[in-house]
Formats: sequence, structure tokens, C-alpha cells
Amino acid sequence: MTDLLSLISHHGYLFLAAVCFAEAIGLPLPAALALLTAGAVAAYGDLHFYLVFGVGLLSMMSGDLLLYFMGRVSGWALLGILCRLSANPETCILRSAEYFYRRGKQTLLFAKFIPGINTMSPPLAGSMKMRLSQFLQFDTLGAAFYVGAYALAGYLFSDALRAITRGLRSAGFAAEVIFGIGLSAYIAYRIWVYRKYRLLDVIPRVPAAELARRLTSDAAHNMLIADVRSHGYYDADSERIAGSIRIEPNNLIEEIKNLPKDREIYLYCT
Amino acid sequence: MARELQQLGFKVFVIAGGLRAWRKAGNPVERVPDDDLVKLPTFS
Repeated sequence: MTDLLSLISHHGYLFLAAVCFAEAIGLPLPAALALLTAGAVAAYGDLHFYLVFGVGLLSMMSGDLLLYFMGRVSGWALLGILCRLSANPETCILRSAEYFYRRGKQTLLFAKFIPGINTMSPPLAGSMKMRLSQFLQFDTLGAAFYVGAYALAGYLFSDALRAITRGLRSAGFAAEVIFGIGLSAYIAYRIWVYRKYRLLDVIPRVPAAELARRLTSDAAHNMLIADVRSHGYYDADSERIAGSIRIEPNNLIEEIKNLPKDREIYLYCT
Repeated sequence: MARELQQLGFKVFVIAGGLRAWRKAGNPVERVPDDDLVKLPTFS
């Protein structure tokens, strides 16, 4: 936070705008902390509170609008990409869409306070063809509430923030050590998972050209091409390999009953 | 998923590069039939 205070004192509105915009488009930057700090700096007199509020609001809205239009243009593709980060992409898309359909307007009002939801809401509104005027109305209120709450808290409790800053100086080193250990453990885990599955990776891979050749041979009647994408079946203009069938990954137990064991099954996604 | 099917005795292959590589190689694609589309709610 000491660094943040220094950055905001020196680069002020520009830094605040960058952090707020970055968080709005889903980058892991702490806009709340930046707003809190900017509010405190405004209380010291180095920034103007109303400008802090305005810059924060406009930056957030810019990021949200960008994601809204991306959702509008890409249909469900953008949400599909965001949902890949979740444990279950298929369920993520379905549940998000159904939830947002029921409570979309209210969600926009408090979404900013919930990590993850804040990034999902604007593209969902776009994908689900929410009217721009309606989106702006609710998203502006939500963003104003979020920016106002943190900036005002920083402004009102600027003295307390100074004390916290002093405390954080000593706690900072311990936090960095803990973060470093956590990051190292995570990287080690990912390497272990990668090596484990690489060693076990015995599924033959067939290039597209080779498969096309096989499909024109006598062996074609013995082949089955199966689309196992967890998403991609939501847009009316979705495409798949000609002649392929769909295997629903989340319903594998049922799907297996219909699969022939005497035929070669070629799986694909993306 | 491929591994699961393989363990259950299916003869499984994976298309390298998936649909993107297939399309890029100029091979035929088709529109997903309406019956297979998952209908998600929209505001319009």
C-alpha cells in the first residue's frame, strides 16, 4: 500500500484510470485498493475527490462497455473463454446464463463487489442481448456505488490508512515470503501434473489431413468422428466437422451407452 | 475424456488441432443441427 500511495500521489488520475480499467476487463489488479488510496490522497489534498470519483467511474464503465460489446459481437464465445477458467465450463455457461436471466439487472448493481462476477456480468449482458440503455443504466449505478464506496471510505478514513500503511511496512516482507512460497508450490504442482499426464499420454493423435485421407478410404465406414467441445453449441451459426456426432462431456455415462466399441472414434474440440 | 473412453475399451484417437486445424486444412464442416443446439435465455 505504501507503493500504491506513492504511485497515486505521483501519477494520480492516470494510474487510477489504468487500474480501474484493467480490473474491469478482468485483469487481477486491485481497483478497490487503488480507489481507497486515491480517496485518502484526495483527503490529503493532492487529488480532487470528485475527479477521483469521475475518473474511477469512467474507467470502470469503459472496461465494462468493452466487454459488453465483445459479448454482443462474439455471442457465447467470450463467455465460453471466461468459463474455461472454471472447474466445469459447461455448467458455468448454463448456470451463469440462467442466473443472469433471472437476476441480471440486480446483479449489475452489486457485481463489482464480487470477484469473478464483476468480469462475467458485462459480457453476459452483451451475449444475452440486454439493451444498451438498460445495461448502461444498471451498470453505471453499480460502478458508481463501487467507486463511491471505496473512494469515500479512503477519504473519510485517511488517517487510519496512514496507520495501516505503517503497519503494512513490517507485515509486507512476511506477506511477500508467504506469497513466494505459495507461488513456488503452485508452479511445482503444475509441473507435476504436466509430467504425470505427459507420461500417461498414450492417446494417438491424428493430423486433420491424415483423417481426411482415411475418410476417403475403405476404412471410413469403421470410423466415427465425435465433437466433445464443452461449449460451442449455443450460437445458431455454430459449425462442426461434417458428419460428426456430439458427445456431451458432462453426460458421458449416458453417452457411452450409444457408442460402438467396434469402431474407431476420433475426438475433437475447439 | 479420451483417456476415460480408452480405459473403457473404446478405440480412441484425438484429432490434432481440433476443429480449427480441420477447417484450416480446407476440410468440410456443417452447421450444427437445430436439435443439437442448447437454447440459452436472452433478453431480446
